[in-house]
Parts: sequence; C-alpha cells; structure tokens
Amino acid sequence: MKDLLRLKTSLTEEIEAVLNDQIRKEAHSSALYLAMASWCDRNGFDNSADHFYKQSDEERQHMLKIFKYVLDLGGTAVSPTILDVKFEFNSFREVFEEALEQEVLITQSINNIVDKCHKAKDYMTVEFMNWFLNEQKEEEYVARRALELFDVIGEEGTGRWEIDHQIPKIKYE
Amino acid sequence: MILKEKRNTILEEVFRTEAGCVYQSDVENCFYVDFGGRAIKFSILCFFRLKTLVDKVNLPDMAACPERSSDIEIISPCACEHCYVLTLAEIAALKELLAGAKVMLELNSILKERLCRLVK
Repeated sequence: MKDLLRLKTSLTEEIEAVLNDQIRKEAHSSALYLAMASWCDRNGFDNSADHFYKQSDEERQHMLKIFKYVLDLGGTAVSPTILDVKFEFNSFREVFEEALEQEVLITQSINNIVDKCHKAKDYMTVEFMNWFLNEQKEEEYVARRALELFDVIGEEGTGRWEIDHQIPKIKYE
Repeated sequence: MILKEKRNTILEEVFRTEAGCVYQSDVENCFYVDFGGRAIKFSILCFFRLKTLVDKVNLPDMAACPERSSDIEIISPCACEHCYVLTLAEIAALKELLAGAKVMLELNSILKERLCRLVK
C-alpha cells in the first residue's frame, strides 16, 4: 500500500499545527506593533512610530515565511484571525516593555517548536526554524536596548524626546 | 459492503468498524469512505478536511442542546461533491472510523520509513 500520507506532505499533523499557531502569533505581533506605532504617532513620538511600523512589517514577513514553508511542504497554511489587539498604553515606557515581552514570548514559542521538531525527528523544520532563532537574537537585543534608554537617558525634562531620537539608532551588529 | 460489489479498482482496506470502512486506491491516489450506505471518493486533501470537520463536532454540546436542529449535523467538506447529514450516533461512528483510518495511515507511514526506505 502506498504511503499516501507521506506523499501528501512532509509535515506531521502536530508540526503543521504548531507552525500554524506560530503564523497566528507572528500575525498578532504584527498587529500589536501596528497598534504601538499608532499610539506613538498619536502621542508625538514620530521616530518610535516609524520603528514600530518597520517592526510590524518585519513580523508580517516572518508570518509569510512560515506560511509559505507550510505550503511548500504540502501542508495547509491557515490565514489567522487576530482579535483583542491592545491599542492603548499607559506610558511611552510601557510600549517598549510590551514590545520586549512580545519578543520574549515569540522566542519561547520558537524554542518550543524546535523542541517538538527534534522529538518528531523533523530536521527540515529544525533547519528552517534556525533562521528564526537567529532573528530573535536581534529582535530581543533591539527591544532590550530600547528599554534601557529609559534608564540611561531618564524620562525627566526632554528625556522622552531624546529617547525617541535615539530609538532609530539602535543597531544589532 | 456496497463498495466491493460496484468497483473493479484494487482497493486496500485501511480500517474497518461495524459502521463502515475506509479504503485506499493506489491507482487513483485517493480514499473511499464506505459509510452510511454510500461509498464516497475523497482526494487526500478532502479526506483530511472531512476528518477535521468531523472532529470539530462537539458531541457533548450536541447532546445537551435542546433545539431540534441540533439533532443532526451537516458535514460538507469544501471541494467535495458530497455531504453527510448525520445524527449524533452516526457522527460518533464516523469519528471512530476516520480516527482509526488515520492511525493506520500513520502506521503504514512508519512501516514504510523503517522497513522500506531505510534499508534501500
């Protein structure tokens, strides 16, 4: 009897499900960053707004990368529904705290996927997810550095204005 | 079962219960689900779509709901010409049949990997 299951897709049901879940998380990140961009724009932090617009685009690209991978391997990629995106924040600092928290959540989620792939001996997906692990180094670095600016510069006086001007200069090299 | 009387295609039995049977056709690369007095052909994708739809039906909720419309469920997989109109008991039976078939397909996959592909 032919192995129709394997001929259809290289992904197991479990791995396909966790990848679709990651697609949803990346889409949620993209929407959350867009909400942060909106908040920054509304409150006069133009550079930070630009930073979050870029972050939002990046997260969408990450989502599409996984989306296409699932399809390339014969799986079914599900276009996610995004609900309950937080769009109000108590302070400028809270925006960046949430951004870092979101990146930590994504890193943990990717680690869990890699862990499941090892257990399922799906080394193709492990190899694919390695790109995301490397990307998370940069994402967490940028988010952490941005938050550190609040302590280094301070928020008093023109502090927040200065922080907003330093945000685009953060680079991971 | 009705399927064997009607077809000449060589079909391999994947899984059988008292309520029905799932066959695989290696020639057509598809499955036949013989259930509820009908044998329906499903492409690989449609077969798994059917399983997802059937799995989504919440039997306890269906049993607890007093509305008459909740006595039956219409299962209509996309891109498939057929649909099922099933009672609670029939859905339970179809769930069991498809779940069993899935396990057998996974077992076949493991056997092919361990016994055929690895020794070549």
